[in-house]
Order: sequence, then C-alpha cells, then structure tokens
Amino acid sequence: MRKLLHAILLGLLGAGIVHIIVLLLVPEFSERDAWSRLAMASDLYKMTRLDAEAGGAPVVKSVDPLFYAAACRFDLADGMVRVKAPGNVPFWSVSVYNRSGHNVYSFNDRSTTGLLDSVVLTPAQMIEVRKDLPEELQGAIFVEAPIDEGIFVIRAFVPDDSWKPTVSRFLDRGSCELQDF
Amino acid sequence: MLKNALLTLLSLAIAIGGGGGSVWYALKTQDGVGAIRIGQWTAFPDIGTPAADPYSKARVAREGVLALGRAEGLSFIAERDSGGEQLLRQCTYTIEGGFPTARFWTLYAADQSLGVVQTGRARLAALQSYQVLRQPDNSVIISVGSRPAPGNWLLTEGAGRMYFVLTFYDTPIASSTGLSDVTLPRILRVGCNA
Repeated sequence: MRKLLHAILLGLLGAGIVHIIVLLLVPEFSERDAWSRLAMASDLYKMTRLDAEAGGAPVVKSVDPLFYAAACRFDLADGMVRVKAPGNVPFWSVSVYNRSGHNVYSFNDRSTTGLLDSVVLTPAQMIEVRKDLPEELQGAIFVEAPIDEGIFVIRAFVPDDSWKPTVSRFLDRGSCELQDF
Repeated sequence: MLKNALLTLLSLAIAIGGGGGSVWYALKTQDGVGAIRIGQWTAFPDIGTPAADPYSKARVAREGVLALGRAEGLSFIAERDSGGEQLLRQCTYTIEGGFPTARFWTLYAADQSLGVVQTGRARLAALQSYQVLRQPDNSVIISVGSRPAPGNWLLTEGAGRMYFVLTFYDTPIASSTGLSDVTLPRILRVGCNA
C-alpha cells in the first residue's frame, strides 16, 4: 500500500516536470504557428491576404471582421526588405513579428504622412544604410529589428461596405520586396 | 518484481498523462496568466510580445495568432454579463456606458473560436464607433439580439455560447500605465428566447 502511494506521489511530481517541459517545448515544435500557416499559403516576399475576403478560410485567425489584413514573410539574412502600399484608407497599422509570432515593432498611419513606405532591417544593415542613405529611401520608416526571419502584417480598417473595394486595392497593390543596397 | 514494474509503469503514466493533459487544459481555458480584468472585460496586453509568460507564448504558437501591437490597439473579450451569467446567442443584451479614449473602436459578437458570429445575412455581427448614435453625455447604448432594435443594433443569430470582442485602435490605454483608471461599458441581460 505504501509502495502504491509512493508510486502515485512520484507520478505527480513527474507530471509537474512534464508539464513544464511540454509547455516550454510547444513553441519550438508547433506546426500550427503563424509562420507555418503562412508558409503553407505562400512564398517568402509575397503579400498574402489574411482575411476571408480573398476566398477560402482565413490563413491566420482572429482578425477583426471590420478589418482587412495582408502579410508577407521575409528573411533579413537575405538583405533588407521594403514594404510599400499606395493609396489612402481610413486607418492602417503595421506590425512586425519575429519567427515565433511575437510582436517586435508596430506603428500606424499617424507616424507618417499617410503613405505606407517602410524598410525592415537589422541593426548591422542600418549602420551600412546610414553611411549613404539612398534618395528613394528618404521618406521611408526604418524598422530596426534584431531578427532574421519575420512576418510583416498590414491591417486596414473597413468602416462599411462602400470602403471594401478601396481597402482591398490598397492591400492587393502592396509590395514586399528584397531591397538591394 | 512484476509488482515493481507495474508501479513504475503507473508512475510514468501519471507523469506523462497528467503533465501533458494539464498543459492542454491550461491552453484551452480563456482565462489565463497575465490577464487584466475591467468589469466583465478581459485583456491580455502582453500576449504576442517577447515579454509574455510561457502560457501565452505556447497559446500563440499553438493557435497561430498574430496579436495586435501596442501602437495598433488593444482587444477586450467578455464572456459573461454583469450578472455573472455566460453570454448566449439566443439572449438579448444591452451594452451601455462610456468608452475610453481611442481613435475608434470596433465591437463584434464572436463564437467559441473568437471568429465573428455567422449571421447568414448581409449584415455583419459587428459595429464600429463611427456609425453609432451617442447619448448627450457621449455614452453609447447598444442593443444586441436577433431582432432589429432602434438606436444601435448589433445583430446576433443562432444559439450557444457567445463572446463580445471590443477592440480599441490607436489608443493610449494600450500602454500599461493607461489601464489603471479605464472604465468599460456594462453588459446587461434583457431577456432570452427559451
């Protein structure tokens, strides 16, 4: 009887240890995180719509129904990435996520003149760019992120149905390109 | 000898089953560590940031969430009304009160997976602050139900559990210091279709 009790107590202690190990390993081995889902839907440096409007189930869930969103994956090891989207919409905001889906930087349309033009780069690339800033990057927002792989997400507000075509066009014409320097 | 082997097996079964099961359960429940409660509304300001606790990190990885950044906005979720009862899609509710400072906010009725409730009609189960009518004191009264209502009407449909998701965009309350003296609207149950 005492042996049984001993075994159960040992089991419970083990359960605690397993709980902690599993919890810490879930992010490492998850195949359902945002990056993996996007990877299944499209290639690197390709803007992909996240909302259901583009047809099919939404790639990444939990997007506000009054919002459209688009995302592209990038790898800063290849070079810095430039994201642009032309046009005027009531509200847009941008988040940069790292490989595991954690938000590393965010900004919205108040930070600029209204046009979305942004460059994501590593601190080392930033030093290089600062030495001689090219003309066409003068107005861009520089996001310095100490990451390699990442996700760039644009969210845009759709106040009512009449805005749907405009906001769709804004996101569909968005570009996500490897910038030569 | 056989007895010892059986006991070892029992210990291992409890350890692996209990450990794995408890993680699964902890990730399934809506409440969690790092939550901020204001009235009936719950927010996770740290979710999706590198500063988040291990439970939030695991949830982000498992569900593939891309959480709103601080400069974007902050989401609150309600699963109970002011009386402490679970929100149901067959019931009608009144959401009333003042809303904190933000460029604008959106409110939608959500199902278990926090996706918007499918109404089967052209009207979305969602409202936003530019389209609502306000009281003289700038507060807002919203009727929630499957039947049209005067004033502000949030359409819901069907039966079963429901959540309200209230998101403030471009708001100072997203910074942690701003959350201390925020009041959010109350959710009052009006009646239910049996």
